[in-house]
Amino acid sequence: MRARLIYSHGEAEKPILAEVILKTGLPINILEAKVNAQKGELIVSIPASGEKLAEVLAMFEEAGVQVQKFTKVLQIDYDRCTSCGACISPCPTKAFTFDSEWALIFDEEKCVACRTCVTACPVRAITMP
Amino acid sequence: MSQQGGTEEIRTIDEINEKLKRGDAVIVTAEEMLKLVESSGLEVATKEVDVVTSGTFGAMCSSGVFLNFGHADPPIKMTKCWLNDVPVYKGLAAVDGYLGATAISETEGIDYGGGHVIEELVSGKDIELRAESYGTDCYPRRHIQTVITIDDLNQAVLLNPRNCYQRYDAAINGTDRVLYTYMGTLLPNYGNITFSGAGQLNPLCKDSNCETIGVGTRIFLGGGVGYIIGEGTQHSPKGGFGTLMVQGNLKQMNSEYLRGASFYRYGATLYVGIGIPIPIINSRVAATIALRDDELFVNIRDYGVATRPDLRPVIRQVSYAELRSGKVTIKDRDVPSSSLSSYKTAREISEDLKKRIEERQFFLTKPVEPLPMLREFKPLKIRGKELLVRDLMSRKVITAKPDDDVKDVAKKLVAKGIDHLPVVDEENRLKGIVTSWDLARAIAKESRTLAEIMTRKVITAQENESIDVVARRMAQHNISGVPVVDSANHVIGVMTTDDISKKIIGGRTAP
Repeated sequence: MRARLIYSHGEAEKPILAEVILKTGLPINILEAKVNAQKGELIVSIPASGEKLAEVLAMFEEAGVQVQKFTKVLQIDYDRCTSCGACISPCPTKAFTFDSEWALIFDEEKCVACRTCVTACPVRAITMP
Repeated sequence: MSQQGGTEEIRTIDEINEKLKRGDAVIVTAEEMLKLVESSGLEVATKEVDVVTSGTFGAMCSSGVFLNFGHADPPIKMTKCWLNDVPVYKGLAAVDGYLGATAISETEGIDYGGGHVIEELVSGKDIELRAESYGTDCYPRRHIQTVITIDDLNQAVLLNPRNCYQRYDAAINGTDRVLYTYMGTLLPNYGNITFSGAGQLNPLCKDSNCETIGVGTRIFLGGGVGYIIGEGTQHSPKGGFGTLMVQGNLKQMNSEYLRGASFYRYGATLYVGIGIPIPIINSRVAATIALRDDELFVNIRDYGVATRPDLRPVIRQVSYAELRSGKVTIKDRDVPSSSLSSYKTAREISEDLKKRIEERQFFLTKPVEPLPMLREFKPLKIRGKELLVRDLMSRKVITAKPDDDVKDVAKKLVAKGIDHLPVVDEENRLKGIVTSWDLARAIAKESRTLAEIMTRKVITAQENESIDVVARRMAQHNISGVPVVDSANHVIGVMTTDDISKKIIGGRTAP
């Protein structure tokens, strides 16, 4: 499960992520980080699901961190998509691949909603509402 | 069978057409042929198979449609014309026009262009037609605005001056910023590789000596039927970069194989699908038909160097097989690679063409004329003198050393009336730059030496670079001046936006 954690003024100074990792024992991976003294934004991968995941997300929220889950962030119009591949190599998380018949497949789990593919697609088949 | 110059003749196109009529010709796709060669060997495969169908589907910018709108009453001699706000070329008779794939919308910009209009025409959608004229005795109307569909047009002929590139060099980016090019999004520091072309399915790769492909050859074009009408522009078959000029009736085509597209911050284009049947007439054709992706090579070029395409530095050679594998090794590192053209659609085209031939809807043709096999692709030479950095830069450069005192340097800048101060070492090699703004800030912060405040990653120019290139570089980095350095990074001048504007006023002429 991937999520964007938004730290506002004040929270950025606290070791919230470290505390969550210590308490839950989950190896939460940081995929992207923009942090300064005032605010911060982390994109993390949380290796959990169900109740455990809900518990982790609640811990962040209780600590004052805003959590945005990456679910259904990207919409692909497969009628417009020609499976050309222009989105594949620019994607920083390798969320796009070809199947054995050279048709494009998108792995939502890997997407971090960076929009690189939205501009890379020549037929504008990818949108992010 | 006869022997001619080491080439074994196998069958003629007439013989194949006879077999097609009888329904006993063997047609396979290019991919099926490769499998057959692998399992049974080239000799057996060549004896068994009469025709191999190829296919390609990619961005082909030199594409467009000739249109005839018919006459309105009262009639108009259209001198300017737009379809969905995309300009149509009107240097033709009163109601004839040519809509090019890369023409861009005057209201929406590069996100919508001729390629999109062509796709919408083919899909039967309503298109807004606007035209203007100066009015004549025989054509008095001066304005027209209406809505048309493809059915209203007398003729709609796709006529593409350059399509079906045999292969195309791959792209990489050695700079430290993202580049948006006609080869798609190129990530900085060799972050990814993009490439184009169907490789082992490409028609011109399958008959690279153009023995069966020539003027008059009937082809699959955009889902309909088309014909090769000559060599394409920039045709350069000797180096493996053959191209074709093709035409076909747009009214028979469909949007599966003609797709409007736009490359971000580059412009609009049209994805075109082409398939060509290759009859195995002799052993030489058989040999090129058997070429696989691992035997077809292109160069990877650095698009970060803004030179003529053929002068972009070659990073290495690479096969289509390696490109298509999804990663290419560059300096011991795996760099992700992906295509811009659709291999999936290219396969579908080769299958579709095979089916049409089997169902006797599509027969083979003998070329009326061969395509030239020796053609030089010349660059455009610029006559007269063009402005270079060396013509505009100031050679009397005032420089400073990293341990110079901030206040002394500030005084120097004020006394000489300059804004950009290159910081150099004992041998005049560039170490950094400070501007008057940096100095103001340094004084406010009470910094002491230039080394503390100078920008170390300096945007520079070389004296033989074109002014256009350096001006764009300055605009991109939002700076107003650059040190000019030689190949050993010695500072030999400074050029500022002021230097450019002073010289350019009154026209772009050399001093």
